[in-house]
Amino acid sequence: MSDEIAEKTGTREGDDFIIIDGIRKVYRKDETETVAIDRVDLTIKKGELVSIIGPSGCGKTTILRMVAGLLEPTEGRIVIDGKESKEPGADRGVVFQDFALFPWRTVRRNVEFGLEVAGIPKEERHRRADEYIDLVGLSDFKNAKIYELSGGMKQRVGIARALVNHPDVILMDEPFGALDAQTRNLMQAQLVDILNKTEQTVIFITHSVDEALFLSDHIVMLSKRPSTVKEIIDLPWPRPRDRAAPEYTALRKRILEELEKDNVLYHK
Amino acid sequence: MFKYDENNKYHRFGKTVMIVILSLIMFVELWWILSLLANTNVFPTPAETFDALIEFFENGYSRQSAGSIIWSSLRLFLQGFAIALVVAIPLGLFLGYSKTLNTFVTPMIEVLRPIAPIAWAPVFIYGINYNVGPILVVFIGIFFPLLTNIIFGVKKIDPNLIDAAKTLGANKTQVFTKVMIPSAVPYLMNGIKVGLGVGWMCIVAAEMYSPVSIGVGYCLSSMCQNSLWPSVFAILVIIAILGILTTSVSEYLQKRIAKRMGIE
Repeated sequence: MSDEIAEKTGTREGDDFIIIDGIRKVYRKDETETVAIDRVDLTIKKGELVSIIGPSGCGKTTILRMVAGLLEPTEGRIVIDGKESKEPGADRGVVFQDFALFPWRTVRRNVEFGLEVAGIPKEERHRRADEYIDLVGLSDFKNAKIYELSGGMKQRVGIARALVNHPDVILMDEPFGALDAQTRNLMQAQLVDILNKTEQTVIFITHSVDEALFLSDHIVMLSKRPSTVKEIIDLPWPRPRDRAAPEYTALRKRILEELEKDNVLYHK
Repeated sequence: MFKYDENNKYHRFGKTVMIVILSLIMFVELWWILSLLANTNVFPTPAETFDALIEFFENGYSRQSAGSIIWSSLRLFLQGFAIALVVAIPLGLFLGYSKTLNTFVTPMIEVLRPIAPIAWAPVFIYGINYNVGPILVVFIGIFFPLLTNIIFGVKKIDPNLIDAAKTLGANKTQVFTKVMIPSAVPYLMNGIKVGLGVGWMCIVAAEMYSPVSIGVGYCLSSMCQNSLWPSVFAILVIIAILGILTTSVSEYLQKRIAKRMGIE
C-alpha cells in the first residue's frame, strides 16, 4: 500500500513521514456545494516544521483539522508513519489558537489529560507531565488555575499538553495568533528551543509571513479558495534565526506579493 | 473624624451593611404604620408578630413542637430536591448530548412545563398518596429549571474543548465524563439555585392540601381558619427566613463551585 502511495506522490518509501495524498474537501449543504480544498498533496519528513500559509479563508485550518482526524476529507487520504489516519487520536497532537484548555483543571492536570485517558498510573503521569511543564518553563505554576495565567503561559500549557503524549506530529493552528506582538516573538523563540530539544515534527498554520520565515523548514503557500498548493519554499537555514537577516527580505517581499494577488479584496 | 473611602473594601462592606439594615428597619416601620392604619385583627403589628413567634417556638402548634413542624417541611423539601437531582442530572446530560433524543423529548417537556407545579398538588396528594404527594410537587418545581439549565449547559460546551480531548486520545465515554459533565456543572448549579426558589414556594402550597401534613403550610392554613393572625404572620416570617437561607446556601455553593471549576 505504501509503495502505491510512494509511486503516486513520486517519493521514496521511508523518506516521508507524513503523506497528504490528494485531499479534497467539499462542503455540501442542501443544494449548494462549496469546494474548500481543491487538491492538496504534501509530504513531510520526520522532525520538520512545515508552515502552511495562504490568503484568509483559504482553508488552512480545514487541512489541519483533516490531518487531526477531526474532519473527514471528501477525497484522498492522510498517511502518517505508514498508518492511514481517520479518527482523531493521541498520535496527532493539536495546539489550538484559543488554547482550548480545560478551565476546571490545574496546569498539571491539563498537561496530564492525555496520559490520564490512556490509563497511565498517577505517579508516572505526574513525572511525565512535570518534565514537559519544566520544558515550557512553567515549573512554578504546576498547581495554578488556568484563569490565573497570561495568554502566553496558557499557550505554553497547550504546547506541553500536546508534547507529553509523544505524538508523531503536532498540529498548530495559528497558536500565537491570540497573543500580543512581544509575547508572540518570545513564544516563537521558545518553540524553536523546544523543537531543538525534542525533534518534534510540526505542521504550523499561520498568516504571519515573518513567523513562517522564522520557524519553518518549508513554507507551503496555498492559493485562494478552492485551495491548491501554489508553491513550496524551502528554508535551508538553521534555527534559531536572525529575524533581520538580509536573505529573508527578498523572500518576504515575494511571499507577501503572492498572498496579495490572491487576496479576495483585490479581485472584487 | 471618620471619612468614607470608596477604595477600602471594609468601608464598602460597611456601607452595604448600613444600607441593608436601614432598609430592613424601614420595612418594619412601614409594616407597623400600615398595620396601625388598617386597625384590624387580620394585620398584626411587628410587635404582636414577634410575640407570636416567641410563643410558637416555646409551645409549638397543635401538639407539635416548632422544631418538628419546620423539620417536617424541610424534610419534604429535601426529599423532592434529591429526587429532582437524581432524575434531572442524567436526563439533562443525555438530552444535551444527543440532538435526536432532545428533539424527541422536547415536545413532551414543553407540554408539561407550563403547568404550574402547584396545579399538580391536588392531583398528586389526593390521587397518589398524602405523604408522597407533596414531595412530588416539590420535585416538579425543582425538576424543570434544573433540567433546562443542564441541557443548556451541555449545549453551550466549547466545541474546541471536545476536539482537544479527542486529539489527546479521549474516547466517547471519556469526552462525556471528563469534558461534558464538568463543563455543565456551573449551569447545573444555576439550575439548582433557581429550582430551590421554586421548590420552596411549592412545599408551602402543597402542604395546605395534604390532610396528614404537620409542616408550615398546614400551620398556615389551620391558623387562618382559627383566626390566629399574629401566629399566621409569625409563620410567614419563618417561611421567608428559611427561603432566604436556602437561597443563600445555594448561592454560596454556586460561587465556590464556579471558582473551583475555573470560572471567575
